[in-house]
Amino acid sequence: MPTWTVEWFWGDRSVASTAPAENAPRLVDGRLRALGARARRFGEIGRESLRNPTTLVGGVIVAAFLLMALFAPLLIEPNTPNAYQMPRDFSSVNVPPGTNGHVLGTTPTGGDVLYGIVWGARTSLRLSVIVVAITVAIGVTVGSVAGFLGGKWDEVLMRLVDVFLSVPELIFALAIAAVLGPAFGNIILALAVVFWVKYARIIRGQIIHVKQNEYVDAARVMGDKRWRIFLKDVLPNSITPVVVQATVDMGHVVLIGATLSFIGLAEAGLAEWGNLVSEGQSGIIAGRWWVATFAGSMVFLWSLAFNLVGDGLRDVLDPKSEQR
Amino acid sequence: MQVREYIVRRLLTLPLLMLGVSILVFGLSRVGGSPIGIYIEHEMSPAEVAQLEERYGLNDSLPQQYVAWLGGVVRGDLGWSGVSAAPVSEIILPKFTATMELAMLAALIAVVLGLSMGTFGGARKNKLGDHLTRVVAISGASIPIFWFGLMLLIVFYLGFGWAPLGRADPSIYARISHPTGLYTVDSLLNLDFGAFTDALWHLALPAITMGYGSTAIIARMMRSSLVEELGEDYVDAARAKGLPERLVIRRHARRNALMPTMTVIGLSWGFLLQGTVVVELIFNWPGLGRWMTDAVLQGDQATIMSYVLITSIIFLVVNLVVDVAYAYLDRRVVLGG
Repeated sequence: MPTWTVEWFWGDRSVASTAPAENAPRLVDGRLRALGARARRFGEIGRESLRNPTTLVGGVIVAAFLLMALFAPLLIEPNTPNAYQMPRDFSSVNVPPGTNGHVLGTTPTGGDVLYGIVWGARTSLRLSVIVVAITVAIGVTVGSVAGFLGGKWDEVLMRLVDVFLSVPELIFALAIAAVLGPAFGNIILALAVVFWVKYARIIRGQIIHVKQNEYVDAARVMGDKRWRIFLKDVLPNSITPVVVQATVDMGHVVLIGATLSFIGLAEAGLAEWGNLVSEGQSGIIAGRWWVATFAGSMVFLWSLAFNLVGDGLRDVLDPKSEQR
Repeated sequence: MQVREYIVRRLLTLPLLMLGVSILVFGLSRVGGSPIGIYIEHEMSPAEVAQLEERYGLNDSLPQQYVAWLGGVVRGDLGWSGVSAAPVSEIILPKFTATMELAMLAALIAVVLGLSMGTFGGARKNKLGDHLTRVVAISGASIPIFWFGLMLLIVFYLGFGWAPLGRADPSIYARISHPTGLYTVDSLLNLDFGAFTDALWHLALPAITMGYGSTAIIARMMRSSLVEELGEDYVDAARAKGLPERLVIRRHARRNALMPTMTVIGLSWGFLLQGTVVVELIFNWPGLGRWMTDAVLQGDQATIMSYVLITSIIFLVVNLVVDVAYAYLDRRVVLGG
């Protein structure tokens, strides 16, 4: 077994590449074929998971939301100057669904609920993509360092992870967003601080498991550099649970984000589902049920759809864990 | 590793984790605006603000400030709660009991309902009952608690015409004495069943709202571990000796399936605790969660810090208890790892 140290990882720079120059065209060809194989495998995974009816339902809802978010400007004329700000129609405040051209009714400040739902999809997509991208990047980096290098690195980083996991996630995110002040950007930041931990934990466990495989030793014996072994052999074989978790988190991030803005941590009037529910909350006792019902059901559907797809992916990628 | 060694090690990590959390919480109060922002009035002169900063030690180095704060926390001084206009330590107990009463009922609902639903589904793998269980479980993990609570309000208030908000009917609450602070327990101690009904009446909707997510988590885990156990050899042996399926499940499989479910019950406490924040806001429940949301909206840092600290400690202790109990009951975990 090699000793997994920093020096080992970066390797001895003086050793020349083992592949002679005349092999280069064949190498490139091989790489292209490997890429093709990988793309085909992704296609297979997609088809295989969609064979499960619940995953298919999830996939259809996800696709509908993505289309709605991408084509929001075509569906409803964007509000000027800021499309993410709810338009105000002061002539029809609190009107029930179907009045004055407001298909889903309006909020107490005259905001069109349908506008909030369509543009809220765009807000949710923005939120989840940014947060998942940041947290996967941080989590995979930290977890890889801990898992691949081990020793002191592992010890220190994992204790840090343990501390972060000691605070329930919504409460942690709520506290961070609260001290930063109410703004949608701060919600993104707060979620990023809270969510990376899971990925670090997952990828670390995977890497520790994968690096014991013989093909990793084989690559080392063949003289591959350490970072190359990591990027080519260890990381790609450790990443599937991260893909599953990231899919589920696309939904979960929106769920927690909407909860924070429901409590009042986003800008007032932002076209965001949690914000809309919060606006509609006060009217419920007076019988104005529509704002909260429609906006909240979007959060539910979004989160449910990604959960279903994530579950389907897990079944296909990791058939051993039938977590349902 | 021996069980005892594992338990001792697990006990020793608790103070370390608590220390880590305290650093995190202290760090929180230093990334945002001024920690004394809530005390600064509009008409204060810069000199007065400087005086305030001096008084609260904000000119000291960060480690000094941290030690001073932690020393206070250890002595029970959690600072001044701006939203309650009183020291945190003085007002926290009634809020704590109000939240605990709600959380315990929600946990009870979640455990009873979750375990029975999980057993029901697991025993009928891939049949109608199982699919129903799965629908409940998967929607429970995706439903926004704040929305679920509001939907219950719409159905039960707008539809059926009742939805008591708050913790109690004030006149009924006033007529009994409150030795424990738990309204249900106090009403029973007073032998006042009218008050007991009132307590349950007010608890029902918020407890159901809070418990749904945890019910889903527990049901899901119970179902999958029961399915796994039912594939084991000892189950076949029990069936082979002619035991009816009902007894195979009740006497053999269910007991072993409970083990992994226990850790999830511990984890679902975190879920319950975070649920209090939103549920207490919607149902106007006078507990810790309501206190936290008030503080969040006003930027009251002492309250936010106290809340995060207290909640994390509860969460850590509950998980420790569950882990230790689990290690004690199922030695394979420890010996295997």
